[in-house]
Amino acid sequence: MAAVQGSDAQLVARCRRGEAAAWDELVERFSRYVFAICTQGFRFAQHDAEDVFQDVFTRVYAHLDRLRDDEAFRPWLAQLTRRACIDKLRANGREAPVEELEPSELDETLSMLDEALTIHEAMAALPENCRDILDRFFAQDESYRTIGDALGLPAGTIASRISRCLDKLKSLMEETDADARLEAG
Amino acid sequence: MNADDHIMLARLIAALPPAPRGWVGAAQELPVARRGIDGIVARAVADAAYRERVVADLESALADAGIEPTPPLLDELRERFRSI
Repeated sequence: MAAVQGSDAQLVARCRRGEAAAWDELVERFSRYVFAICTQGFRFAQHDAEDVFQDVFTRVYAHLDRLRDDEAFRPWLAQLTRRACIDKLRANGREAPVEELEPSELDETLSMLDEALTIHEAMAALPENCRDILDRFFAQDESYRTIGDALGLPAGTIASRISRCLDKLKSLMEETDADARLEAG
Repeated sequence: MNADDHIMLARLIAALPPAPRGWVGAAQELPVARRGIDGIVARAVADAAYRERVVADLESALADAGIEPTPPLLDELRERFRSI
């Protein structure tokens, strides 16, 4: 899992300037989010999810100039993905109003995924070994043995490391919240 | 920090598994693919025989240009040819 560098707005601005590395980074940063909206929010099977995934990033690349506020990239992307999913359902022959096509608990799922993305971005501030171990265990569902082999750590120490890394992440989140409250006055 | 905090964080980390590497790679190649499509369109404007071959088989035209013919890129090429 790569470290996140710079805000979403800074990254979008770099993409607009045509920096190839920035586009790679933007795709990397938001690929999980788009993938999750397709597969968890709309429960698409892999084949359809792949079509929507490519469609979304094609639309982002083509229409990034239309985004008025770079700070609003994330909700814009979520909305764009939602529309691409609806288009896919319609292309697959589902004819119904949008509210009937969208799964009933979609808003709750999107809200949870938004929170999950915030946590993943916060993980960027963790030491690399913590970031790696948490991502491998929880997001990639790797076993203690696999993680131990990959990171050169005894498998018996993985559980305690995970616990310590979660503590660090929680502290980071609390600091960030406190900073945000201070900035808000 | 209590166990509930751990469970909540674990649940949120797990909610975003990685997208398949191939999908991410294809999306990262979009700027290159766009330039490839521009090249196909420019050549088709100048060469009627080439234009006919592309219209007959869009997928091969993209593949020949080294571009993976994903549905969105095929749609885009189709759209560009409509306006030639």
